[in-house]
Amino acid sequence: MPEHDPERELGPKITSALQGHADTQGMQATDLAREARRRVHRRRQGMSVAAAAVLVAAAVGGVWSVMGNDSPVATSHSDSAGEGKAVAPERTSQGIQPNAAENTACPAQHPIQQVAGPSDVPTGTGLDLNTPVAGLTACRYSTGQSGLLGQMQFDGAVAQQVVDAIKVLPERNPELPVFKCAPQVTKPSEAIALRFATASGVKEIWVVYDGCTDAGFFTGTHTYGLFSAPLKLFMKDSVRPSGGTYLSALKDW
Amino acid sequence: MEAVLAAAEVRTEPLDFEAWVTEKADALLRFAYVLTGDANLAEDAVQDALTTACARWGRVSRADDPEAYVKRMVVNAHISWWRRFRRREAPVDDPVRTARAVGDGTAARAESDAIWALCATLPDKQRAAVVLRFYEELSYAEIAQLLHCAEATARSHVHRALAALKTTLSSERGTEGAENA
Repeated sequence: MPEHDPERELGPKITSALQGHADTQGMQATDLAREARRRVHRRRQGMSVAAAAVLVAAAVGGVWSVMGNDSPVATSHSDSAGEGKAVAPERTSQGIQPNAAENTACPAQHPIQQVAGPSDVPTGTGLDLNTPVAGLTACRYSTGQSGLLGQMQFDGAVAQQVVDAIKVLPERNPELPVFKCAPQVTKPSEAIALRFATASGVKEIWVVYDGCTDAGFFTGTHTYGLFSAPLKLFMKDSVRPSGGTYLSALKDW
Repeated sequence: MEAVLAAAEVRTEPLDFEAWVTEKADALLRFAYVLTGDANLAEDAVQDALTTACARWGRVSRADDPEAYVKRMVVNAHISWWRRFRRREAPVDDPVRTARAVGDGTAARAESDAIWALCATLPDKQRAAVVLRFYEELSYAEIAQLLHCAEATARSHVHRALAALKTTLSSERGTEGAENA
């Protein structure tokens, strides 16, 4: 009995069945070439666009990196800013996004108007002086009815200079007088909120230089004594007070 | 595939893509239809293969047999994982016999339909192996190369399909015999 070979037995039937059903009825045989060319063209365009996007991203990344590596040390640009010219907050430091600086604008009403002691800085709003900063808005407020007295924006370099100048200060300035004053003059008549742009949002340092109980830079967790070096960096134009109890004791602010 | 193409490059003058497609479109679509069992899938597979071929037509057209090369692309497209994944999103009807064998001389046609219906139920690679073996009349070595598997695996694909087909046809013959009795 010959060996049974299913391929030999069924092969011709399968071939016949496949050929019998292999028709192109209902299938679109025209324009295949044109469509292929169109798709190739589109694919190449897509690749060009993607390549361009990668190049742009790389370029932006490079520029961003260069901007982010700006030294916080004073430069000719920051010097000019330090001379009192309000600068737009487009420059960045440590790669912090520039729009963060835009949010540092002074609010019309600020907690510093109500109280101005070292422990009055609301929890979570004080600046950790080791945090990189990208910009600064100095907001000078009256603790009375006048509200916002003046404001000025500074770029990242100046902001960092201010931070660096503050964080080396002792807890208090021994040169400042200790007053015994009447309760009505205990509270400062004005104070300055320094609003810094950081990667985690706006953080503040309160600057108190009037009244007769406390003076210095308050972060909520730390108090730094009132010295003239940081003050000179931001007390410009409308942010520069006409005077203050403790400022009078600082000769060179 | 690139190695196959490089080995097969013999022509010195490239063919005109449009003219070649016009000439071969029907054959490619027929092959794709037999391979996929679905007109839409066949059109998609052929269009994708032609798009790929168009992008490197300079090399493809110099091959010894551009049609075989493009057919390979169709097979690859059909058995690619993403295409199988996409097909999962479009359920098809359960395979059924499309015609009953009757005693008026249409038995051959009914058997042909039964084979076609059975092919539709085969897994992609098994079906591709059957089509390449019995429609394209390729050797098992060529099928193995196309399906990226061992020759024994290609042979196994075909034999399993044949076994399934034989079982189906035998049971149907038995049913018809019982009905006729």
